[in-house]
Amino acid sequence: MKNLRDVWSSRFMHYIGEVQKYMQFIFTGHIAIVLVFLIGAGGYQYSEWLKVVQTDFPAEVLIAVIIGILLAFSRPTTLLREPDQVYLLPLESKMFLYFSKALAWTFWSQVWIVAIVYIVSIPLLKAVTELTTVEIWTIFLLTIVLKYLSVRGEFSYRYSERGQMVWVDRFIRAVIFAAAIYMGLHAQLLLAVIAIVISVVYMIVFSKKSVGEPVPYEHFVKLEQNRMMSFYRFANYFTDVPHLHGSIRRRSWMDWLYKFVPYGKENAQKYLVFRTFIRTDDHFYLWVRLTAISAIIAAFVDIPVVTWIVAGALSFATTIQLKQALLSSGEFRMDMLYPLPDHARQLAVKQIVRLAMISQAIVVGLCAMTQPMFYIAFIIVLVISELTSKVSK
Amino acid sequence: MSVLEVQHVTGGYTRKPVIKDLSFTIGKGELVGLIGLNGAGKSTTIKHIIGTMLPKEGDIRLNGVTLKEDTDKYRTAFSYIPETPVLYDELTLREHLELTAMAYGIDKATLDARSEVLLKEFRMEKRLNWFPSHFSKGMRQKVMIMCAFLVNPSLYIIDEPFVGLDPLGIQSLLDQMDEKKKEGASILMSTHILSTAEKHCDRIILLHEGRVRAQGTMADLRQSFAMPYATLDDLYIAMTKERDHEELA
Repeated sequence: MKNLRDVWSSRFMHYIGEVQKYMQFIFTGHIAIVLVFLIGAGGYQYSEWLKVVQTDFPAEVLIAVIIGILLAFSRPTTLLREPDQVYLLPLESKMFLYFSKALAWTFWSQVWIVAIVYIVSIPLLKAVTELTTVEIWTIFLLTIVLKYLSVRGEFSYRYSERGQMVWVDRFIRAVIFAAAIYMGLHAQLLLAVIAIVISVVYMIVFSKKSVGEPVPYEHFVKLEQNRMMSFYRFANYFTDVPHLHGSIRRRSWMDWLYKFVPYGKENAQKYLVFRTFIRTDDHFYLWVRLTAISAIIAAFVDIPVVTWIVAGALSFATTIQLKQALLSSGEFRMDMLYPLPDHARQLAVKQIVRLAMISQAIVVGLCAMTQPMFYIAFIIVLVISELTSKVSK
Repeated sequence: MSVLEVQHVTGGYTRKPVIKDLSFTIGKGELVGLIGLNGAGKSTTIKHIIGTMLPKEGDIRLNGVTLKEDTDKYRTAFSYIPETPVLYDELTLREHLELTAMAYGIDKATLDARSEVLLKEFRMEKRLNWFPSHFSKGMRQKVMIMCAFLVNPSLYIIDEPFVGLDPLGIQSLLDQMDEKKKEGASILMSTHILSTAEKHCDRIILLHEGRVRAQGTMADLRQSFAMPYATLDDLYIAMTKERDHEELA
């Protein structure tokens, strides 16, 4: 690696690769479909509401506050790693080259969030204010400029203060930005410009303060680790993330359930698989998530056919994913040596999955209670699950 | 009659065999040490005996049967303590013992009686409701040891048992092994702690490049290497040098 720009580029490629790998799963997973439905439904509701919204609706304040808060969250993406505090130390004075790349990426990777929120709110602005199109787009540009200032500002603050009390800094920035947007929305461009000047000064104060300070590697590395962890945790809802594999929780409030597997040689695998299912977050939350989606649809969608299709699809998804997760046998486990019949594990998995699916059927059936023929959802969950369990290998 | 008979076993991961034409037996009440350099084939030999690998040629009999002939009888005949503890993250110590007892068809009363003794011996009574994530390496090892001794089989297969155990733990393990031996159980132990092996093993099998280089009591080994006063360490080093000579030749 010749220089710091190359260091950044190779980090960046690796990071993008990692994000892409998991994004694939997120956008092909079941939650993506639910999200599309939710966005569609939300958009429809919003457009209906715009038709009846009163002109005294406080749109300016609401938008200014929301955009102000969103602008204030400008966590820098530095992609620094733990060994950097040793290996990059001799390059300390040249680190600004690296950070300018990092901040450019931080800006471009975050600016679209405020941009989208603002664009979504434009119809509302048109409905309740008298702003002209030019004015509305001028404020859009103002938002983008403020985002740029915010990214530099938060970085300088974290650099000079090593991340201490960053919430105070964010609050101050949120207030200044919200004020700027609010002035803009009231066509008080002069006041808006004054707010911008204040935020520039605020930024410069910390930027000056950070000159000569050593790079706060520890803080930035921790920030990076937290960011990647939360990304992995999010991705883990959709797919198996190896870094996160199997966190375990006792869930002792469910201990009473284990009594249903009595002591005895023929129950050894069931004893194990039951606890694996209840206590492994991956398996347990998979069931909780899919059951919850199915139940919510059953409770709030009034078209029986839709609830049946969703119940069936999610019953299939839960059964097949649970079965595969519980059967997976990559590593050596002690139960591979137990003097038990060869199919003992498979049989136990089948029974535990059945138990989980009967519970899902009951939950979904209860949530569909208000509908005519609510018992059909219950039967569909059970039948699809049994068929899936039988046909899949 | 031998408890374990390994007859002309050849096997390994790929087409190139790791162990070649391996033959040895372990009699009732015998403690046999399996000694060899890294890569000599100790772990592979153990994997073949516990049945996670199947021999390409030859037979392995435990209490007279091969794994194929009578899986249940074969598997009930031994318990295994791996080099790296293999525990279930989602089970407590108590549940590890209970699961093992269930799998080996041990009734509840026997489980309670045996585990009480073992928990006391290995000083783990107060950790019954702990999960493995809270255990140190030595404690994890102790869980494996307790599970193995709970089963009370004819043959114990113990891979590198002393690494990670504290001195008290090592003593407890040796005591347990002694006791089981007196009751007629056999033990196959692979280790690098040669002084302990020399002191406690009835017989030693020296593995070298997948073959049995020498086997027998310490006296037999000294004779075979023509080193009358040698310790096991000396013999081990002699074997290493022998290999270097072969490589140079």
